Amino acid sequence: MRHFRHVRHAAGDPMPKTSRLPLKVGTAALAAALLLALSPAARSEDKADPFAPLPEAPKINEARAKLGEKLFFDPRLSGDTQHSCSSCHDPAKGWGDGQALSMGYTGVEYFRNAPPLFNVAGRKYLMWDGRLDGADLGTLVRDMLTEAHTMNADTRMVQERLKQVPEYVELFDKGFGGDPYGGKIYGAVAEYLKTIRTTNAPFDRHLKGDKKALNEAQARGMKLFAGKAGCASCHNGPLLTDQSLHALGVAENPMIDADAARQTTMLRHFATMGTPNYMNLRDDVGNYVVSKDSKDLGKFITPSLWDIGQTAPYMHNGTLPNLEAVINFYNQGGGTHPNKDERLKPLNLSKKEKADLAAFLKSLTGDKPTVAKPALPEYGLRTVGKN
Amino acid sequence: MTTKTAFATAGLAALLLSGTALAGGYPDLAPLPPVSSPADNPTTPEKVELGRKLFWDGRLSGNGSMACVACHRPDLGWGTGGAISLGYPGTQHWRKSQTILNSAYYNKLFWDGASTSLENQASAAAAGAIAGNGDDAMMEMRLRVVPEYVTAFKQVFGTEWPNIDDAWKAIAAFQRTIVTDAAKVPFDRFTKGDATAISDDAKRGLDLFKGKAGCISCHNGTLLSDQKFYDTGVPDNPVFQSDPVFQITLRWQHYQKGVSEQYYRTGTTDDGLYYVTLNPQDKGKFRTPSLREIGWTGPYMHNGVFDTLEQVVDFYDKGGGEARSGTKVLKPLGLSEQERKDLLAFLGTLSMEQQLLMADPALPESKPLPRPGAASNQSPAVTPASSHQHPLHPMPVTAPAQKKD
Repeated sequence: MRHFRHVRHAAGDPMPKTSRLPLKVGTAALAAALLLALSPAARSEDKADPFAPLPEAPKINEARAKLGEKLFFDPRLSGDTQHSCSSCHDPAKGWGDGQALSMGYTGVEYFRNAPPLFNVAGRKYLMWDGRLDGADLGTLVRDMLTEAHTMNADTRMVQERLKQVPEYVELFDKGFGGDPYGGKIYGAVAEYLKTIRTTNAPFDRHLKGDKKALNEAQARGMKLFAGKAGCASCHNGPLLTDQSLHALGVAENPMIDADAARQTTMLRHFATMGTPNYMNLRDDVGNYVVSKDSKDLGKFITPSLWDIGQTAPYMHNGTLPNLEAVINFYNQGGGTHPNKDERLKPLNLSKKEKADLAAFLKSLTGDKPTVAKPALPEYGLRTVGKN
Repeated sequence: MTTKTAFATAGLAALLLSGTALAGGYPDLAPLPPVSSPADNPTTPEKVELGRKLFWDGRLSGNGSMACVACHRPDLGWGTGGAISLGYPGTQHWRKSQTILNSAYYNKLFWDGASTSLENQASAAAAGAIAGNGDDAMMEMRLRVVPEYVTAFKQVFGTEWPNIDDAWKAIAAFQRTIVTDAAKVPFDRFTKGDATAISDDAKRGLDLFKGKAGCISCHNGTLLSDQKFYDTGVPDNPVFQSDPVFQITLRWQHYQKGVSEQYYRTGTTDDGLYYVTLNPQDKGKFRTPSLREIGWTGPYMHNGVFDTLEQVVDFYDKGGGEARSGTKVLKPLGLSEQERKDLLAFLGTLSMEQQLLMADPALPESKPLPRPGAASNQSPAVTPASSHQHPLHPMPVTAPAQKKD
């Protein structure tokens, strides 16, 4: 896809090297384009398997990840020490916040859904509008810490706070060598993010050879997903996403029009991205803020479907409260938008087919995370000359 | 005397300080002249009224609740009344909150003179991590969803939408109205010819101020400040040795001000003007504060270490403290008990007899912008959060509340 600077999957490639897929991540765009050209009839005859098991766990630097876990839960990484990453990415809420629109920083109301973090390490793009490079989790962390609508921190202040915590000083030295410093803070949290993965999802077990992993309804749903319902044309590959951007015509969330605070964060985001005519925008323009190309108005990244049972509500603005609503949305051919993906057509699913599809979607959900908030180390007094 | 000539004469005052002569040669102690406004930000009543609201409006901060007024409260001498200012929630400030009163007359703002205009100072305070921690784009957009502000900015600045730089201009214009009323200041009435306006004690104190005590060598002119920077050896506020959050702030300041790594790792004190010039000779220098309204603006010094004016007089009587440079600019004064009392009596004549109080203005409401072409007036209004409460302030305010006489 155009407009994105770095598309690399060399180190820590989430794709198995000997993929049985025709859809290598590097060629996902091409594959998506091919699928786009296929008629539904041609697609149903397509023998290509759109599925692949979850990628192997990336290599983890344990010392950094352990430090990153504490930092992930530590509100001292925010401007007013009231928000940690976990405030909006709560493991108990599918690593999101369970709200349609995320709450954002103190005195702020955010304008998009807090995306779940399952398997976040394998992405091509990050953020709903695809504005960040998926290969660079450190930059994602920096963005979340510093953005006025998320954690609003001066990272020099965060750095000095962490240097005031003897245990952190030790952990940074162990993990990186030397003092806490901006880049190391982002790197430690990024390392921890790599550990957040789907575990024990029935469909993953199925793909890895467990013949009993899916029940009959789920197995029928899988066929619909790959065939008649067309889901797999975007939700494919090991992360069940084509890692691309599409307009579906999801309705605007009326909370944005109704709430000046949410409108404020949205328009401010558009303004800071240099979006043309931002004061007159009222719809969420999605990837347009990156490309400034009207063909990208209303386009958002295809989310991964792993663990979807833990991550309601759905869509970039949380307007679909449950999976049934999502299925109905696609069954009617999506919503209305000038850039709507041409593949979205009414599906004419029967009630049974919808139930089968829902059953299959549930098989994408793994275990609930068992992560608990770690004990956070306390400030100590300074040792002059040392910190 | 115009402000301009007062500034010109301040240079002479500095020359004299290094010599021995203290009598005469200093700009006159006289009532303040009318405030002038810069050519690019003329004061108008509409601008002042807009600025007054913005001064109270927490929208101009990161969390929506740290308005200017949070640390510059009229009922606390337009400061916080504490030794060291509050700081943004989760942080701690490192210096005393200076009064807004007569800030219009300073040519530089902040204790170390880091800012050269009220407009610039407002912007810096609203953005600083230990003060407002606001993001310009966010603050600006918050103003744009307030219909009353959109109208007022258009009227005052002629722009379609509020621009954040104009918000600082309006606040500066408002601050230029927060000044001493000479008619309420005994000393100003005295200099205008009312010999009964101050007591005999105070008159003797004035002589000391201009003579033996040498105060006038820095506290001169209409503002009772030469606007210059000195290291008088004010002791450190001990809280920087006992409270980790203060230590974090000090190091953060050093980090962001671009000092050497050696200094960053070993610096334990506030070096004032040094951070602006990075000239080692400027270590420990702070701008001479105005003595006007001193009765309402304690505690004293850049770090609020002195609760009372008695302590301040004692400090100077002893010849000040340990200067960072090792060279003392002050000498012991040898004041008698009576002289100290007289000096204090004089200092007591420099403030208005009533505080300049101001009621909280009603803040306008936010309202979502209508869709272009849609009929407006259909969206529910959202009431802004109270502007100067700190419901989320997690740190105890370690500076003890000060009782004033």
